[in-house]
Amino acid sequence: MHKDVLIVEDEPAIRRLLMGALDRTGLTYAEASTAAEALRLAAVQPHPLVALLDLGLPDRDGLEIIPQLVEAGLAVIILTARDATEEKVAALDLGADDFVTKPFDSAELLARIRSALRRKTGSRADPQRRAFEGGMIDREAHAVMIGGAAVALTPREFDLLWALCEKPGRVLTHRALLETVWGLAHRDDVDYLRVAIRALRKKVETDPSRPKLIINEPGVGYRLAGSAQRVA
Amino acid sequence: MTQSTPSTDADHYLRLARQEQQGRLTVYLGAAPGVGKTYRMLQDAARRQAEGVDVVVGVAETHGRSETALLLEPLSILPRHRVDHQGHALDEFDIDAAIARHPGLILVDELAHINAPGSRHPKRWQDVEELLAAGIDVATTVNIQHIESLNDVVAGFTHIRVRETVPDQILDDAELIIVDLPPDALIERLAAGKIYLPDTAGRALSNFFTPTKLAALRELALRFAARSVDRRLTDQLRTAGDEGDFVAGERLMVAVSPGKGGAQVVRHARRMADIFHAPWTAVVVESGRARAIVGAQREQLADNLALAASLGASLMTVAADHVGDALVDQARQLRASQIVIGKSRRSRWFEWRHGSIAQDVIRKAQGVAVHVVPLSDADERPDKPREAAFARDDVVAFAIVVATVALLRLAQPWLPFGAIDLLLLIPVILSATVLRLRAGLWSAVWAALCYNFFFIPPLHSLTIDDPQNVITFAVLALVAAVVGWLAGRIRRQAETSAGVARLNASLARFAGLMGGLSEKEETARVACREIGNLLDVEAVIVTIEDGDIVVRGNDAYRRIDMIDEAAVRWALEQGIATGRDTGTLNASDWQFHPLRTSLGTMGALGLARPSQERIIRPDDAVMLASLVDQAALAHERIVLEGQARQVDALRERDRLRGALLGSIAHDLRTPLTAVIAATEAITVEGAFADEIRIARSESRRLQRFLDDLLEASRIEHGAIEPRWESVDLTDIITDVLRALRQDEAGSRVTTRIDGDCPFVSSDPLLLRHVLINLIDNALKFSPVTTQVEVELLCRDGDVLCRVLDSGSGLPADTDALFDRFHRLEGSDRVGGSGLGLWIAKNFTEAVGGTITAGNRAGGGAMFEVILPGRPKDEAEGRAADA
Repeated sequence: MHKDVLIVEDEPAIRRLLMGALDRTGLTYAEASTAAEALRLAAVQPHPLVALLDLGLPDRDGLEIIPQLVEAGLAVIILTARDATEEKVAALDLGADDFVTKPFDSAELLARIRSALRRKTGSRADPQRRAFEGGMIDREAHAVMIGGAAVALTPREFDLLWALCEKPGRVLTHRALLETVWGLAHRDDVDYLRVAIRALRKKVETDPSRPKLIINEPGVGYRLAGSAQRVA
Repeated sequence: MTQSTPSTDADHYLRLARQEQQGRLTVYLGAAPGVGKTYRMLQDAARRQAEGVDVVVGVAETHGRSETALLLEPLSILPRHRVDHQGHALDEFDIDAAIARHPGLILVDELAHINAPGSRHPKRWQDVEELLAAGIDVATTVNIQHIESLNDVVAGFTHIRVRETVPDQILDDAELIIVDLPPDALIERLAAGKIYLPDTAGRALSNFFTPTKLAALRELALRFAARSVDRRLTDQLRTAGDEGDFVAGERLMVAVSPGKGGAQVVRHARRMADIFHAPWTAVVVESGRARAIVGAQREQLADNLALAASLGASLMTVAADHVGDALVDQARQLRASQIVIGKSRRSRWFEWRHGSIAQDVIRKAQGVAVHVVPLSDADERPDKPREAAFARDDVVAFAIVVATVALLRLAQPWLPFGAIDLLLLIPVILSATVLRLRAGLWSAVWAALCYNFFFIPPLHSLTIDDPQNVITFAVLALVAAVVGWLAGRIRRQAETSAGVARLNASLARFAGLMGGLSEKEETARVACREIGNLLDVEAVIVTIEDGDIVVRGNDAYRRIDMIDEAAVRWALEQGIATGRDTGTLNASDWQFHPLRTSLGTMGALGLARPSQERIIRPDDAVMLASLVDQAALAHERIVLEGQARQVDALRERDRLRGALLGSIAHDLRTPLTAVIAATEAITVEGAFADEIRIARSESRRLQRFLDDLLEASRIEHGAIEPRWESVDLTDIITDVLRALRQDEAGSRVTTRIDGDCPFVSSDPLLLRHVLINLIDNALKFSPVTTQVEVELLCRDGDVLCRVLDSGSGLPADTDALFDRFHRLEGSDRVGGSGLGLWIAKNFTEAVGGTITAGNRAGGGAMFEVILPGRPKDEAEGRAADA
């Protein structure tokens, strides 16, 4: 039987707290306190689904092992300090799914873990359609429904919304979104993204001035809130 | 070539600008003593006082006239300052008291007065200038014969040269009030004994009081006043932008020569410049011959130039061999329309030999009017300080000739006859080369005579029989002249270049010595020793350290007396040379030159010479300037090195402190993270529910406190480097509300957001921190039942974010809120580091914004963050491309 979570953390106190929280929610886990140990456990088949990775490890920089963990099939959530923007962006660009800042709130951490687990274990339904809170997007039909009514999006807005829905809950960096929607040439034109997000929010959010669907991570990127699901 | 001519326009506006801050000068101008200037001034002062102006009498000479003394009574009088001078007690005007008192208008009688030795300024007009510069209005009196540019004219018809003169410039910006009395009335007053004349000068002065002279003086005074009025009118026209029929384009150039006559020419030029309202330039040509002038003449030339400068000329020195050509060239370059030049009455013979510069200029100048000022011969007669040297040269030349002739006489039997005249060239060439031209020529004469006397038949007589011998005689003289002339020229050039080389070598040596030193005492000692040797003076370096005078560099002089001290302070404050031979405090034994650098004045170089001659010869002025610069630079370097060492030490301390804070923060953060996670894992129920709540909130508070401390240390170290990106403030506000858990239904925060606000170029994390601190504060300091409002709006292209609460509001001094560790009274209750607003202010400013605080009209506080927006169309335009 596989483990749900691989905890990679060198501080014993934090490790025990994480274990306690996972215990209470009934999730299974393996624990590692060094990078080497983490890589060894990730290679055990069947591998854990989600890695909770602290970047400050005694033997190696946590950033270095992200590609190997992703390669091994794990969704990586990093634990980091709030002001470490560059670290977050680097980790996400290396393939990490999400980040949680210290000091963390256990409820939020668990929600993130669940969201990642869902992405890993989601049902094999129609890969061309996604549902999100308050709406649905259909790639084949190029249609978006909000609250039961069809909404007309420009091709860019549609691509942007699809990019966010494809991996719901996962943080997409500005650069990743720009590359996907506008292409490599515009990977640094954050302005394009800001304007498109504002336009998109006006069409899909109930209150565009207090957005609940397309969530900004300051300095890092955007994520789609809630639990977008593949529509069966 | 050096020049300091501001353009006429710049000059004009500078003068006007200066007038705005300066005090105004009113001058009561009279043609002669006794016309009632003081009386009139006091009358006007009484009127001004009645108008409410604060009037003070600095100096008013009543000369015992009771009606004048009566006028003084209602006015407040500044006590005089008593100066002891050689046993006499002199009452002088007290300038320090006047400046300290700072009245609206001060009366300072007798502008041309010469102050007692030991006063700050030698002349009273300098006191008046200082008062004006201090912004005090001054009223004063002067007689026409004291005006510098009219000095010659007055002396010309009164035969009295007045020593007390006032430069014209001080009257340029003054309001002139002419106090006029017809000559007859004035003579009547004199007869009635109503005019005070000083005992000593009484008889001489009474020469003034003849009807013709008084009429001439009166005419001068009236003309002078008319010119002043005229100039004021022109000024006004120009200020109004209307040039009117202003005589444009006139420009005067005056050729300044050494000799007393030069001063006369300069004064003449000033009067002409006045009439034409023209700028004027005084030019000195340094030719080979001019460089040869020495001693008293050189001093006179320097004085003439100083006079020209004081009369408002810009100065220029041109190096050229031919004076006439150089003057004409210079006139062309300056676009002068008039040349003023002096010409002495010399014999035709002298002119034929030396040429007359004036003639030369007249011949060559085209399209330029040349004014020739006649000078008396005496004024131009060259000094002969080297007479002794000449005489010695002549003796030496004679001795050489005699020695050669003696040898030739002895050797004659063995010499062919034709060789003798050739061999006689030897002493001539020798004398001409080694000695001066005159000695060479003399030796030619003696050689020719000896040749004639001793070698040409008839022997022992000065008769010449053979015409061939006449030719020999002529050739000898010619050779002597040519060789002497060439040798003299080469020697002069060699002397000049040797002088330049010596100067450069001395300066290089001095700079080298200065460069190697790194200690104050040593630097001063070496600098003073070298400067002393180079200029043949005593030198000290004086600095003010902690208010005390410190004298360094010369063991013979460790202290200076009070006058010297005053001079040092003046030199340091004003940045000008002060003391002996200067215009200020020249009773001092020392001449002080400020050591000015980019860091400020480092101190002063003091120079003294035991004898009475000038401390700095005009030839040494260039060298002195370089030496002063070098000494100043050396001192500056020492200060900079000291500062650099200090900065290094500070930087090292800062680095250690930063490292310490970083490690403390890390060590504290990790356990704190565990504590917070642990307390939040416990469910709030049962008997210890309250304790758990307290543990939670206190550990969060500790967390915020730690964060604040870390941010504060980053700010203190200047480590805030914004990561600029395009930011949508809606995003930031949403994120902040989520972080503060105010994003759910039933939150205490209401938002009013303009969805079309432009993006700003900023750092999202710094802005997030600012808003968290502001909103968190608002939540803490207002009752839990009230709402906190967050507004985002756009005004004039800027983005405004406001946080408003309904609490008790802010104290009046809202600026203090943003100070470090500032806490509102009673805020201990809600907790906080006292750093929140300080951090918010620093972060806002780091991203180019401003933050202000105030009270709302309906109660409660309002904080407003203004961020400069980017042009909206830029962002939109780029997106449109997308």
